Amino acid sequence: MDKQTLTEEKFEIDLLVLLDCSKLHFYKDKGNFISLEYEGNTYFNVRLTRLVPFYSKTTYISVAYDNEDNEFREIGVIKDMADLSEDQFKLLDEYLEYKYYMPEIKKVYSIKDNSRGFIFVDIDTTSGRKTICIRDWYSNFRMLSEKLLYAVDVDGNKYFCPDIEKLDRKSLATLEIFV
Amino acid sequence: MNLLLSAPKGHELSEFLFSLPFNLYGKAQKVNGHLCVTRGEIIVYIDGEEVDRYNFNDFDEYACEQLIGCSMMVGRINDRSQRCICAFSQDSFIAFAEVCKIINHYLTTGILVEQSDIDEPKCPKCGLPLDGYSECPYCASKIKTFTKLFGRVKPYKGVFAIAILCTVLSEVLNVVSPYINRILIDDYVQPQNTSHWLGFGVLCGAMFLILGINTFLDWLNLKCSYYVSLNLGQDLRQDVFNKTLELSMNSISKKTAGDLINRVSNDANKLQSFLTDNGKNAVVRILSLLIVMVIIFVMNWKLALLAIIPIPVVLVVVKRLYNVIHMYYSRVWRFSNAHSKLLHDALNGIRVVKTCGTEEAEIEKYRTASEKWAKAASKAEIVWNLIWPFCDFMLTVGNYFVLYFGSLMILQRIPAFGVLTLGELIQFTTYVGMLYTPLRWLMQLPRQLADVSVSASKVFEILEENTDVRDDAECVDLDIQGDITFDHVFFGYKVYNPVLKDISCKIEKGKMYGIVGHSGVGKSTMINLILRLYDVTQGSVSIDGVDIRKISQKSLRSQVGVVLQETYLFEGTVLENITYAKPDASFDEIVQAAKIAHAHEFITKLPDGYNTRVGNKGYTLSGGERQRIAIARAILHNPKIIILDEATASLDTETEKQIQEGLNELCKGRTTIAIAHRLSTLSHADNLIVLDKGRLAETGTHDELMRKKGVYYSLVMAQRKTTKMREVTGNPNYVH
Repeated sequence: MDKQTLTEEKFEIDLLVLLDCSKLHFYKDKGNFISLEYEGNTYFNVRLTRLVPFYSKTTYISVAYDNEDNEFREIGVIKDMADLSEDQFKLLDEYLEYKYYMPEIKKVYSIKDNSRGFIFVDIDTTSGRKTICIRDWYSNFRMLSEKLLYAVDVDGNKYFCPDIEKLDRKSLATLEIFV
Repeated sequence: MNLLLSAPKGHELSEFLFSLPFNLYGKAQKVNGHLCVTRGEIIVYIDGEEVDRYNFNDFDEYACEQLIGCSMMVGRINDRSQRCICAFSQDSFIAFAEVCKIINHYLTTGILVEQSDIDEPKCPKCGLPLDGYSECPYCASKIKTFTKLFGRVKPYKGVFAIAILCTVLSEVLNVVSPYINRILIDDYVQPQNTSHWLGFGVLCGAMFLILGINTFLDWLNLKCSYYVSLNLGQDLRQDVFNKTLELSMNSISKKTAGDLINRVSNDANKLQSFLTDNGKNAVVRILSLLIVMVIIFVMNWKLALLAIIPIPVVLVVVKRLYNVIHMYYSRVWRFSNAHSKLLHDALNGIRVVKTCGTEEAEIEKYRTASEKWAKAASKAEIVWNLIWPFCDFMLTVGNYFVLYFGSLMILQRIPAFGVLTLGELIQFTTYVGMLYTPLRWLMQLPRQLADVSVSASKVFEILEENTDVRDDAECVDLDIQGDITFDHVFFGYKVYNPVLKDISCKIEKGKMYGIVGHSGVGKSTMINLILRLYDVTQGSVSIDGVDIRKISQKSLRSQVGVVLQETYLFEGTVLENITYAKPDASFDEIVQAAKIAHAHEFITKLPDGYNTRVGNKGYTLSGGERQRIAIARAILHNPKIIILDEATASLDTETEKQIQEGLNELCKGRTTIAIAHRLSTLSHADNLIVLDKGRLAETGTHDELMRKKGVYYSLVMAQRKTTKMREVTGNPNYVH
């Protein structure tokens, strides 16, 4: 490997590579995982990651894969999925929604504190009504910004509410003591 | 763990070996799915309809992958191609992982386990996670726990009985005082009778006597209570600490260090104060409640009813109001905590704040946090000041009824209630007032009982835990020669995630072996198994042909020396740290060991030589110096087997060279097993064991493996490439 190639490799890793959406071709392989054809290369089972999952679902998506030595290799970053074709957008969006499956909180009925570090929150979500048990609620039931509520239950399931001010008054009053 | 939870629509549970519901599929849409396992097949159902069917042998391995918001079960072929079988929310992860483990076990051994042997992850009763507890601390039988707890008072029962007796006598005397008051008022104060000074004097004397006796009883009570409390606390802490050190790494790693420290100190302390304070109070308060009740009912049952009737309703209301207050104060605590964190952050990072010129932003953040805290505190105070007087009034509302109707009785306005003297009314209201103390205590009791029973369950769980790595009844003290054999070893820290798979290899005595592989491949795990910090899941590890489960742990570990990447030095002197594993070593031996480890030179330069204190985990010394002390410790230990786990990884090349000389001396003629990230460190090893994805990929000398061009070759090449790239880019921090 000559000096020139090595220097180029260094740049590939160190710099942010924004992917040209018109050249990307994602497809589902037999195992239902996403693979990619890009600039003459085929990458099997690519890893798609929302770099800022709480602020944007469709911008700054990292596309990476594991090489033969199981080492992380980033192909590049999609700045905005809106630049993809409709079917490509749909494919990626479906996969990301799946990977980041996180029901949205629509209503908060009640919160009970068992005074031992756990709270039981009765909520209505996009996936139905559920009472979730939260451990160490000071850390796992909190505001990530002025509006965004984020909850992680004892099993590791995640829930969020993008804007608590849009909740009904009763839900807000129930939340008020805890956030 | 139950893996037969529910059957798909139109099917019976009996048709399957395991059947687990799952709730996600395809596009993160909610579905009503079932993953069913028969003796050889996996069938996936959605809404009762079969959508996929796989033979166990369709894949090489089954695994559960945790994504961000959900998990999925996948089947893999050759580690490269995989297929998603189904997906589910995180609560089902452990059940699916267990199914994967069982099928994988079938694929490697041909044996299909039909019953899962792992514990339920959640309490079936309350649904809270068990977190490694065998029994839910919140649902454990309270009576059983408290019986065990009070059983610990046994060695001090005599002194404890004196403390109880003192408290009971003191309470009895308290009941007598209002009676004397009544006589004083009715017979001497109200009639303004000045001709009976003797009687008045006797009564006053009796009052003083009661006061004196009460003071003595209180003193004796306090002395006895402290004696019991301190001894009991010491016993508990010592027992919990002893047991914690006896437990296997497997049990210990289920709990965090913080949790264990909590159990040794906080939980044990909570039990200590509960037993001596509340345990004694329980007897006295209940007794006092009964005595006072009987007295007031005997005095006037109608007035007594007026005093008691509102109490149950009031208690319910007051308890609810207390909960509201509690919520407001916990909110204040949260904001105060956020405020402290921010303060801590800004002041610790003041250089960053200054260099980035973000002072104003930080001031604004601080102002907001401080304001939120102040607002929450003010709100809580308002709520407290509104609720508390009301609660107290409500609690003692019965007394107002008694005063109103009692006064009417003195004035003889309600003949149906009878007649009362002023002295009797004062005596009565004093008794009613005495009812409220035990009642207030009783109101707090359920909360305290719940709190203490959780602490007690946690403490007793440790005290009663059977360690899973224990000495066999027929274990032997072996004089180790140094031959180690791994025979088809399988092991995983979590049952569903095997780290080592089917490892078979021989390590010959007196030779140096290097274990290499990517990080997380199981190198340190092999070492943990040799040290028997864990027991293998399957297969065996033997030393000189004896299964290590048949060798006493003390004998095994006294003949194995370990030098780790991060040396832990205990609070104490250099001398104490070197002699840690051999406290009876002579000073000559110690200096000799330090010289071999190249530690003597720097120790002599320390202000107090070998008596220099290495406080704060030894961070007053450099990494190289700490490592040399560890090597001296290992040399003094004179082990038959040496384990070097990245012993020189955190040192610079110059220090590594110096340390290497010490290590070479240490390893001479001993079986040595070394793990090193820098493969060049291991190139002179007699043999290399190469691990890949938890399996033994290849073994051989450096030259043999390089010629083979297998896994080791690519590891070496990858590392050389990184080194070259560092040269080209001139960036020593560039990490491949």
